[in-house]
Amino acid sequence: MSISESPAPDQTPIETTATTTATADASNAPGGMTFEERRHARNLGISYVVLAGVTALFLTRHEGTATFNLDGGRSFGLPAQGLGWFVAAALAVTAGIQLWRGYGKYTNVVLAMASILVFMSFLSWAAAGRSFSFIGMLASAVTFSTPLIFGACAGIMCERSGVVNIAIEGLLLSGAFTSALVGSIAASWPGLGDSSGFWVGVLAAMIASALLAWLLAWLAIRFKVDQVIVGFFINFFVLGLTSFLSSRVLTENPDYNDTPTLGAWKIPLLERIPILGQILFQQTVFVYSAMLLVVVFTWFLFRSKWGLRTRAVGEHPRAADTLGINVLRLRYRNVILAGAIAGFGGSWWTATIGRFNENITNGRGFIALAVVIVGRWHPVGAISAALLFGLFDSVADKLSLLNTGLPSEFIKMTPYLMTIVVVAGFVGRSRGPKAAGQPYESQ
Amino acid sequence: MRKTKRFAALALTASLFVVAACGDDEEEGTTTEAPSDTTAAGSDTTAGGSDTTAAAGGDGEAVSACEVTDVGGVDDKGFNQSAYAGLQQAEAEIGAEIDLLESSSDADYAPNIQAFMDKGCDVIITVGFLLGGATAEAAKTNPDQQFAIIDSDANDDAGTPDDFADDVNLENVRALNFATDEPSFVAGYLAAGMSETGKVATYGGINIPPVTIFMTGFLNGVNYYNEQKGTAVEVLGWDGTEGSFAGNFESLDDGKKLAQGFADEGADIIFPVAGPVGLGSSAYAKEVGGIRIIGVDVDMYVSNDKEKEVYLTSVLKNIDAAVFDTVTNVADSGDPGDDYVGTFANGGVGIADYHDQAGDVPDELKAEVEELIAMFTAGEMTAS
Repeated sequence: MSISESPAPDQTPIETTATTTATADASNAPGGMTFEERRHARNLGISYVVLAGVTALFLTRHEGTATFNLDGGRSFGLPAQGLGWFVAAALAVTAGIQLWRGYGKYTNVVLAMASILVFMSFLSWAAAGRSFSFIGMLASAVTFSTPLIFGACAGIMCERSGVVNIAIEGLLLSGAFTSALVGSIAASWPGLGDSSGFWVGVLAAMIASALLAWLLAWLAIRFKVDQVIVGFFINFFVLGLTSFLSSRVLTENPDYNDTPTLGAWKIPLLERIPILGQILFQQTVFVYSAMLLVVVFTWFLFRSKWGLRTRAVGEHPRAADTLGINVLRLRYRNVILAGAIAGFGGSWWTATIGRFNENITNGRGFIALAVVIVGRWHPVGAISAALLFGLFDSVADKLSLLNTGLPSEFIKMTPYLMTIVVVAGFVGRSRGPKAAGQPYESQ
Repeated sequence: MRKTKRFAALALTASLFVVAACGDDEEEGTTTEAPSDTTAAGSDTTAGGSDTTAAAGGDGEAVSACEVTDVGGVDDKGFNQSAYAGLQQAEAEIGAEIDLLESSSDADYAPNIQAFMDKGCDVIITVGFLLGGATAEAAKTNPDQQFAIIDSDANDDAGTPDDFADDVNLENVRALNFATDEPSFVAGYLAAGMSETGKVATYGGINIPPVTIFMTGFLNGVNYYNEQKGTAVEVLGWDGTEGSFAGNFESLDDGKKLAQGFADEGADIIFPVAGPVGLGSSAYAKEVGGIRIIGVDVDMYVSNDKEKEVYLTSVLKNIDAAVFDTVTNVADSGDPGDDYVGTFANGGVGIADYHDQAGDVPDELKAEVEELIAMFTAGEMTAS
């Protein structure tokens, strides 16, 4: 986190990635380092030096102990100043080794450990002499990155089969609206309770978003309209339509906009694991669904016939067609399925807040789109990127109430900035499915 | 291939702007009907001006009053809705013709104002600090058009938006401001007295003066309680210059996230100053229990029936009264009147009833709150 205070280390990794991307294919000679790799290693070393400097200069300024509150009244304290000096020294040593001979295959492990050290040192600096709920911060990161995970999985499913989906925002929003409206109405049906009514709403949300996704697929596949343009169109359309219906229907009939919020569903035994239990296993069904989705989706994408075909259609549809795969039908199916996933993700808002409000998704669909790219079109990458963004977001929230003296506008910006820095540092080159965005015409 | 991708990236960036700009298309031109539950905020108040005899406009026709909302919309259960309630009151009581345009983003402000000027509205009421620039611009170039603006002075910035010293007051704009730090101060005092954990919290939508004035008043009220009682009740989320903000007035989940964060730190009373975002905090309070919320702008116990049990009280900003006063002034004399500042003394601001939580508030504290309000009304107390 500390790097946000100085522009210098931010630029180094970004520059590295840019140059790597441009010329990475130049040489793949086995054994020994290529020029690009050497440069990357050198830049990384310089980044450590700068990071060590920033840590020593800034993060050692606050005296006192930062108390990290855990669950059940437990807590641990870190001396802010001492930790700052320790981390600065550790980074200096790391930088030396990196510049001298590098870490080989452990490069990213070392980078991750260094990042965690800086992160903890930063938190200690921010909370020196005070206490804050460390567990609460991590749990909130998981809770509020859930819609990003659903949105990103929907995006990956489309793009992997060769359809660019800019409309994630619109699909999430339609899911949020439909689940609130239908869920509220269904709950008042005789025989259906609040809970079953809510799930009827979720089902309706999945159908509504799947229909919109079908519209996207129809225009993009059947009529070969530019996929980005169609995506725009759906985003506008949904935003306008839901806002209109919200002011005309929901405002006038508050009963149509009133579902119960979905409380936490604690998983027996697992929820008792210290620390991890409260972060991961005392959440709502939506959080578990997101995790399950990532596991199932990853398995299917890389281990099943459907996954192989999807990836083939996304990379080289002509070849797939030649082998007898129905490219268009597969694309239709995947886009519609992605719509249903996004609709489910959209009902997270209804489950969390218990109502709909104009533009309630507020651009999360676009962040999900970024998460797709940051996660390198891989579900596991996407969940990591989403959780990372969620983490920085909840750190920003904690910062704003710890009176660090940082301007609130700056704090609001940090999640985005840090995601870029981490992506540039860790992810490096990112390449999407080759055929994404290109309409396919069978011959 | 590479080209396509570049285009996609470009288009994505563009879409962010366009989405921000064009969301209003569907609603443009519709005159939104009365939200049914709008007349919540104190209709018992008589605002600043006293010349409120019902009469038609100078030209013998009904006066037409038009509202341009800020983002958040007319059903925000907050200031946009409250201003519209004032217009509805004018429609019912003096037969004003009223109209409404909602802004979906800051790009809608100027076109919406222009649309009403083209329509020939007698007075255009713009709601919110963020419309200050667009209103001043329109008022400057159309000196015969009457305006009123909520939460801003909409001064002519003389080409230097960051330098307030050379600002020129525009004759045809009536600024409707509210000393909301007064009721927020009282709410802070009350919250400090009610907190069992010794921690209370506040957060804002975005860091702008009409939002932070509430938060500062709240903070000062808590500190005043500490001074009086020798306690050490702590305020989370605002230290007088920096604090917690949702960053918008739309994402209810941000309101829930912030409330959860405050509760994690032990706060048991939360005062959101963020329009609809605060409803997310109410949802959280209802879900977990044990957390009280202080409503803002209107009596949220009335306007937000769904979670009414969580509200300790509400800080009232009687925008409807000020708007009604403005419209009657225009109807009487064609002029919206002198700049207006709502206070406890003129009923422009207030504190709502405790409703369901009345039984929880000790009688002694109730009396102290009444006394504070009386001191403000008499001008013996300042919120700063």
